[in-house]
Amino acid sequence: MVLCLVALPIFALLSIFSVRYRRLTLEAVDCLLRTVTLRKCRSGLDERIRASISGKLLKIWPGAARFTYRYYKALSWIIFILFTWSLVVSAAGIVNYVKYGNCNGPASTGFCLFDPTGSQSAICEADIDIPQQTVTPAPGEGGLLIGAPDAQLTIIEFGCYTCPHTRQAQSTIEQVLEQYRGKVNLEFHPFVLSRHDFSGPAAHAAYCADEQDKKETFHELMLNNPEVISQDNIDALAAKAGLDTARFDECMVSGRYDAEVDADALLGVRAGVQGTPTFFIGDQRIVGPKPLKTFEVIIDPLLR
Amino acid sequence: MNDKIRSDFPLLDERRQDQRRRGPLVYFDNACMALKPRQVIEAMQSYYQEFPACGGRSGHRLSRQVDDEVDAARRQVAKFISARRQEECVFTRNTTEGINMVAHGIGLKQGDEVIISGKEHNSNLIPWLRLRQEQGICVKVLPVDSIGTLDMAALESAITKKTRLVSMVHTSNLDGVTNPLRDIAKIAHDHGAKVLADGAQSVPSHPVDVRHLGVDFLSCSGHKLCGPTGTGILYGSMEALEQLRQYNVGGETVIDSTYDTFTPEELPMRLEAGLQDYAGIIGLGAAVKYLSRIGMQRIERQELALNKVMTEGLRDLQIQAGRDRQEEGSLEKEEGSPKRMKKIRLIGPQDPALRSGIYNFTVDTMDAHHVAKMLDVSDSIMVRSGAHCVHSWFNANSIKGSVRASMYFYNTLAEAEHFVDAMGRILTL
Repeated sequence: MVLCLVALPIFALLSIFSVRYRRLTLEAVDCLLRTVTLRKCRSGLDERIRASISGKLLKIWPGAARFTYRYYKALSWIIFILFTWSLVVSAAGIVNYVKYGNCNGPASTGFCLFDPTGSQSAICEADIDIPQQTVTPAPGEGGLLIGAPDAQLTIIEFGCYTCPHTRQAQSTIEQVLEQYRGKVNLEFHPFVLSRHDFSGPAAHAAYCADEQDKKETFHELMLNNPEVISQDNIDALAAKAGLDTARFDECMVSGRYDAEVDADALLGVRAGVQGTPTFFIGDQRIVGPKPLKTFEVIIDPLLR
Repeated sequence: MNDKIRSDFPLLDERRQDQRRRGPLVYFDNACMALKPRQVIEAMQSYYQEFPACGGRSGHRLSRQVDDEVDAARRQVAKFISARRQEECVFTRNTTEGINMVAHGIGLKQGDEVIISGKEHNSNLIPWLRLRQEQGICVKVLPVDSIGTLDMAALESAITKKTRLVSMVHTSNLDGVTNPLRDIAKIAHDHGAKVLADGAQSVPSHPVDVRHLGVDFLSCSGHKLCGPTGTGILYGSMEALEQLRQYNVGGETVIDSTYDTFTPEELPMRLEAGLQDYAGIIGLGAAVKYLSRIGMQRIERQELALNKVMTEGLRDLQIQAGRDRQEEGSLEKEEGSPKRMKKIRLIGPQDPALRSGIYNFTVDTMDAHHVAKMLDVSDSIMVRSGAHCVHSWFNANSIKGSVRASMYFYNTLAEAEHFVDAMGRILTL
């Protein structure tokens, strides 16, 4: 009876393509109905599966055949439990996908069948130890404010200008800021990644640009820049953003924003950031370049 | 020589893709359905390709060719079972139809007795049970002993003046035991009863001479004779057939008709209603011609040789397992030891010479369907499991079902040994 229940959805799926499985599906349905109505399952499908598996193993691995034949019921229950668990997890995945556009919810970087390449969950990992207790960051703890200063809601982003996944998320963030213009702004905390050579200088550069009131232009240029970030590249983008290059160079050499950059890193570590990009909206966390839908699902209720 | 015979059967060609993938196919379900040789397939194909016309109606040359081929098939069949005349052979769909034709054609009425044995196929049981329900006939069931032998003394005492028919399986599909039909016919005729033989298993397995047996009717199927499915033969002596009321009437069963009356056709056409399965009949003719060419004695010998290998092989396995059990007992081995082999219980006599091509058995603590499925999956051995349409015997003996390996002339001794090996593995589960 147990395997009938497991077999039902599988046969139902296969029966779309083959008549042979339609008969087996009907048997499984009959078995299910009889089980639900507390009658004995009469299809014999379970027993046929038992004999079939044991028979297949008989020649290649007699010990396994014997084990399967003798402990078939126990094995059936194990498979049934695993199947049920997998069904629940799959259902949760589908719910998450429908809700957030990702199977594992906004804060996960796990595999999602609908995103097989993992592009929506990929992050640039940071070489830091996660503290046992994390603190959700609140707006106004430094960083670079992008968008309306008096917005109703602030997205806090921990990103790295040299991280391809932070760059990937930029287009979505721009859409969010456009869609919720005046209601939502972004607090970007440059999160320095030790593995990336120019992560630190790029973070400094952002603060130096802020010094000349060009942070938004420079921020967008940095994240929409298709080239690999280098010192020359940073200088070129600063010039393109209309910064006074002499003042910018002086700022970069001075190191006067080391404290801000360190504070951003510390804030991220305390928040349990494991890589970039990581977003906080209220007490919700979004990890990786998730689709627009993920942001909408979290933002909309908070704006109501 | 066996290789040459096997080459006639397309399914046994080991070059077939499925056989290359799953290993050589071993077909031991011959009591249910025999394989078809090329000659039969080609004969049927020739009808559809060369003269697919009506027989017995139109006068054109295609129709005449159909008549000629059907006549030839009837002659072949008559010769095959040693009938006096080809008109004594009526083409049917199968054994069941032949038996029903007799059951409904001999004019049984309330109080008439029909005697059958205790291990009849449903084909030779249900028609009588229904007549008992509907017309009040009396059905007497003769007991068989534990090794499948019919109690002849019981027949002597059961038969009375009211007995109209003794309807008896010739060779049982349950245990392969052949009933002494000649003796049965003599007893029946002495009491004025007619004899109907279920020849479904006997006609394919060994030489059958209806005149020697002295039966009034014999019904058998084409599909067990290497012939097409949906074909069968009802033999009846001319005297018996003349008295048989038409079971099916309609097209081709009459010479003439008015709005009120009809004149029946001559035998055997009057019993073959409607357009016939000409391709099947021609294929059946080709099948009996093929079997005749091989020789029924030779077929019988091969079946017995195969049965001997199976019987002795499995008996040896069981003896060895018994010794192992004794050793296990002395060494106090655990219950689930792989050496512990399940027991086989044979249905019918131990002597394979008495079981023609049937090896029917149960395995202690194992479901018969499991065994059959495993033989198929693990070794590509096709056998039948269940009650083999002899539910009455299984119910009477409180047995849920059995596994039946049934052999035919194209099976080899190596296949029988392979079966023994495969069973040896299954019995250790």
